[in-house]
Amino acid sequence: MAEQQTAPGHRTVQPVDPARRTEIDKQRVPMSARPYRLLALVKQDAVVRVQKEPDDTVMTWPHLLAIEFLAAVLVSVFILLMGLFVNAPLEDLANPNVTPEVAKAPWYFLGLQELLAYFHPTVAGALTPIFVLVGAALIPYVDRGNLLATRPSDRKTAVLLFTLFCGLGLVLTFIGIFFRGPGYAFALPWVTGMHFSL
Amino acid sequence: MSFLERVDQGIRQSAVWRSLFRNPYPNDERSRAYAVMNNVFLHLHPVRVRQHAVKFAYTFCLGGLSFFLFLVLTVTGVYLMFFYAPSANMAYTNILQIQTEVPFGLLTRNVHRWAAHLMVFFVFLHMMRVFYHGAYKPPREFNWVVGVVLLFLTIMLSFTGYLLPWDQIAYWAITIGTNMAGYAPLFNTPSKFILLGGLEVGQNTLLRFYVLHIMVFPLLAAIFLAVHFWRIRKDGGISGPL
Ligand code: HEM
Repeated sequence: MAEQQTAPGHRTVQPVDPARRTEIDKQRVPMSARPYRLLALVKQDAVVRVQKEPDDTVMTWPHLLAIEFLAAVLVSVFILLMGLFVNAPLEDLANPNVTPEVAKAPWYFLGLQELLAYFHPTVAGALTPIFVLVGAALIPYVDRGNLLATRPSDRKTAVLLFTLFCGLGLVLTFIGIFFRGPGYAFALPWVTGMHFSL
Repeated sequence: MSFLERVDQGIRQSAVWRSLFRNPYPNDERSRAYAVMNNVFLHLHPVRVRQHAVKFAYTFCLGGLSFFLFLVLTVTGVYLMFFYAPSANMAYTNILQIQTEVPFGLLTRNVHRWAAHLMVFFVFLHMMRVFYHGAYKPPREFNWVVGVVLLFLTIMLSFTGYLLPWDQIAYWAITIGTNMAGYAPLFNTPSKFILLGGLEVGQNTLLRFYVLHIMVFPLLAAIFLAVHFWRIRKDGGISGPL
């Protein structure tokens, strides 16, 4: 894309010290002799390619920006309403000497806390989270079967394993949230009430 | 011309306005392309995007909304910082003052809290969306890894913030959480000690979590977010269509 440059006429440009000019410099067209500036480099084959793929693109403005704006507004309204009508929890001042009926970790760690009830703490509290994070990071390097298959129906094993894993996490977290009462013993929420805060 | 129109024209023709926005409001395709290319915020996006990628049902806007919540949390968090001291003697009182004396303090704290939970939730959902679309496959492997780092940072941001109100929920939730880290093989005592700055949750822990929460993790997140967004474009835009 070319763009006219409006050079202010009165400004004088000092030539570069000849001692500092390299071979490449000598071949360059001086900026003042070039009424355009470089906006993009285009690969050779992009220029000579005759057959053009069908264009499946739309303008970012308005199509993408509109949907982003709408989504942001909806979420803003939601958190504003939440903020107006539901107060963030706050209990008594922290006191190391008063153990609460049940101490629960934040909800995203409750799956791990639930595992603590069944396994040795090293397994539940340390090895599992490390395994989950490292394992997740390795997924693209392990799932090398058919690199072109993206449709879930073409990669049933991967989808099944991942879904099972997510389901397991969800179930554990659910138990931790709803079915654990005083002393982190099993409890039914409709009998003993909820023991959970966000 | 009505009064409002004259004010509008006056503003748009002022030197200040025209120095801010070099071009008039873009109404045609060409000037909108320019706007997206030349505006520092808009140029996160390419000028054109593939059709399927702007469909709500492809991304569900989850990545974008996670980022939006990150921004909301930054703004509300900065406001809260003006009224909060990370001291075991002051923190709880400060929270009470924020709720009762600070203008919009209660609302700001509530919004900060709910936006934080929502962000963790959306990041999880975003990760699942990406998985089910097979969008971690080449050439996007590395951006998936960046994503995992972002997931870790998001959770740690939430976790470190959880302690700051210094109430019973905070104290015991963090005690449970850090106890787990205490069972890391080989590193058990050191890792717990480094996290807590002592043998149990106390003033040192509060200061540590505060610094991590308001400085270290947000900065790291900003860096990884920049890489994440850059890579989306360098990897050829949004994956798909399926
Ligand atoms: C703070 C957290 C995160 C933010 C703000 C974020 C933001 C985004 C955004 C805005 C996109 C564009 C498409 C979309 O909205 O879906 C995206 C794409 C992507 N994200 Fe994230 N992300 C985060 C965390 C993650 C996580 C946890 C993962 C995976 C472990 C991940 C992996 C990816 C990948 C692979 C893409 C490309 C997807 C495609 O091309 O379809 N991101 N991210």
